[in-house]
Amino acid sequence: MPNPYIPYLTRVKSIVGENKANDIKTIELEFKKEEEYKKFDYIPGQFAEISMIGKGECPIGIASSPTEEGTIKFTIKRMGTVTSAFHGSEVGDIIGVRGPCGNGWPVEDMKGKNIVVIGGGFAFSTLRSLVLYLLDEKHRKDYGDITVIYGNRDPGEVLYTDVLDEWKKRDDIKVVLTIDREAEGWTEEVGFVAPIVKKVGPKSDNGVAVVCGPPIMIKTTIAVMEELNWGPEQILNSLEARMKCGIGKCGRCNIGNKFICTDGPVFSLAELKELPDEY
Amino acid sequence: MEQKILKKDEIGKLYKEFESEYNFYAPISQKGNIVFEKIENPEDIVLDYLNSKIPPKSVLFPQMEVLFEYTLDEKDVEITDRQDLDQKILIFGIRPCDAYSFELMANFFSFHGNWEDEIYLKKKENTTLIGIGCNNPRTTCFCTSVGGNPFNKENMDVFLTDLGETYLVEGISEKGKEIVNKLSWLSDAADKDVKKSQELATQAEESIVTKMDTDKIVSNLETSFEHPVWEEISESCIGCGSCAYLCPTCTCFDVIDETDQYNNRGRRIRIWDTCQSCLYTLETSGHNPRNTKIQRCRNRIMHKFSYYPTNYDLLGCVGCGRCISVCPANNDLRTILDKIEKIEKEEDEKIVA
Repeated sequence: MPNPYIPYLTRVKSIVGENKANDIKTIELEFKKEEEYKKFDYIPGQFAEISMIGKGECPIGIASSPTEEGTIKFTIKRMGTVTSAFHGSEVGDIIGVRGPCGNGWPVEDMKGKNIVVIGGGFAFSTLRSLVLYLLDEKHRKDYGDITVIYGNRDPGEVLYTDVLDEWKKRDDIKVVLTIDREAEGWTEEVGFVAPIVKKVGPKSDNGVAVVCGPPIMIKTTIAVMEELNWGPEQILNSLEARMKCGIGKCGRCNIGNKFICTDGPVFSLAELKELPDEY
Repeated sequence: MEQKILKKDEIGKLYKEFESEYNFYAPISQKGNIVFEKIENPEDIVLDYLNSKIPPKSVLFPQMEVLFEYTLDEKDVEITDRQDLDQKILIFGIRPCDAYSFELMANFFSFHGNWEDEIYLKKKENTTLIGIGCNNPRTTCFCTSVGGNPFNKENMDVFLTDLGETYLVEGISEKGKEIVNKLSWLSDAADKDVKKSQELATQAEESIVTKMDTDKIVSNLETSFEHPVWEEISESCIGCGSCAYLCPTCTCFDVIDETDQYNNRGRRIRIWDTCQSCLYTLETSGHNPRNTKIQRCRNRIMHKFSYYPTNYDLLGCVGCGRCISVCPANNDLRTILDKIEKIEKEEDEKIVA
């Protein structure tokens, strides 16, 4: 039984600005010890407690897919002390990683289903992981139709344009991008996520929808999904909370008797309806 | 004879038997407050206390605790794990409610399969408890309502009863029985000593007047999340968090890095935290899921009397009454629970009427 608060040590392999505002960066990490990378066996939708040792630690969703072997990636928005330290890090710097934490997207239960992935803004990181996982040649045959609907405020905020371009070239995934208001050079959809979902009209039969984004987007999108006959057990969300330990000990991320860190962060809408409205 | 007698002036002798093998903790008076500290001089030990201000959870789960240490240089980090977890700990003079709280904390810290809190659990495993019954429970004590008893011996290794001039000594666990056997200089107890200890136990139990129906409280809470009673309950709370800091079953903590001024070395520590603080759940975005005092007060009660029972089939309270005696606003847990116990009754009466 090892001390669960000690992180694995990794080095920054690359660090990439993701948006025009330059407050979101993706950091790619390489484990110092190969055997620790092997122990870090994750599925899409899980998160890790990552730290600049000496500055602090925070929970971040894993943006890479386990099918991208060799490194792991985190997309981090610059907000406070720790995230600013990540933004200031350079290739070769040491970053601590504990995890993987949380339940992740239920990729086993999703087999045989048509998958609709709906994301808004910065909350797309674990959705990137999920879609890459589903599209991997080892897994693609296990899943039905895949539809991605991804909204942003403006074109400069769209994350992961490299993988989005690749997905758009494929014929086994439908990718719909939207921005809130028209912008020069933008040729795709315009409008908030919810009305675009309505326009795309994903069928609920044998479907699982994964919805991530700011609270207002989730609320309006779920209303649309319900109109489209999606049941609460078919809609999955990933929650966030202030966390310190990520392993069900520090106490603060509870919703009722559940901990977001260990019972979640992925909950179906049906599960959330059973919990107190305190998240 | 299973039971032995320890004379009150032999505490020093007892201490000497253990000091080399164990870190010996016992209650002492510190600026008028009883706290459990590592003993250097056995004459400091105070056993005729009613309840310690700071619970002995501080021995196994200190207010500030190192998780690991690190050294930093230009391009590398070295981490050093705790090296002191195998040390043996003896807690002398612990009360039954506090001894039981260790079981609840160990239960919580071991719950999530892959992620056991090794730091706590290892220390717990290496801990021996020599406890003492409560001849005179405080007016704020209510252990008998939450499954406890002022003479509950279950979670002890060795149990003492204060007989006035002497202590009756009983080995409870296998480890405790061995310890008592080794203390060959203890005299055998007489039947009258054993009888007296039983009388004291009965008197102590009867002296606790608070009686509450915790089954009813637990079941009422299941349907009372949105009840207006929480507004009433939280009204006088000033949000200081003393109730949670000094609760022997509260386990919440914050984690921070402390690095020296040269940025060379430091340690990651955990420190007690409380759900009564609004910063506790404040997210970086500014969103706060428990932004109001009502929500925070509710969370503390729900955690101990609803969430903990739902998850583990145990109450998250040992009835020590510290939260009652330390509250600067006189917010009394017994009154709070009484209000909750009555919720349904009032509504049932209305239905009958």
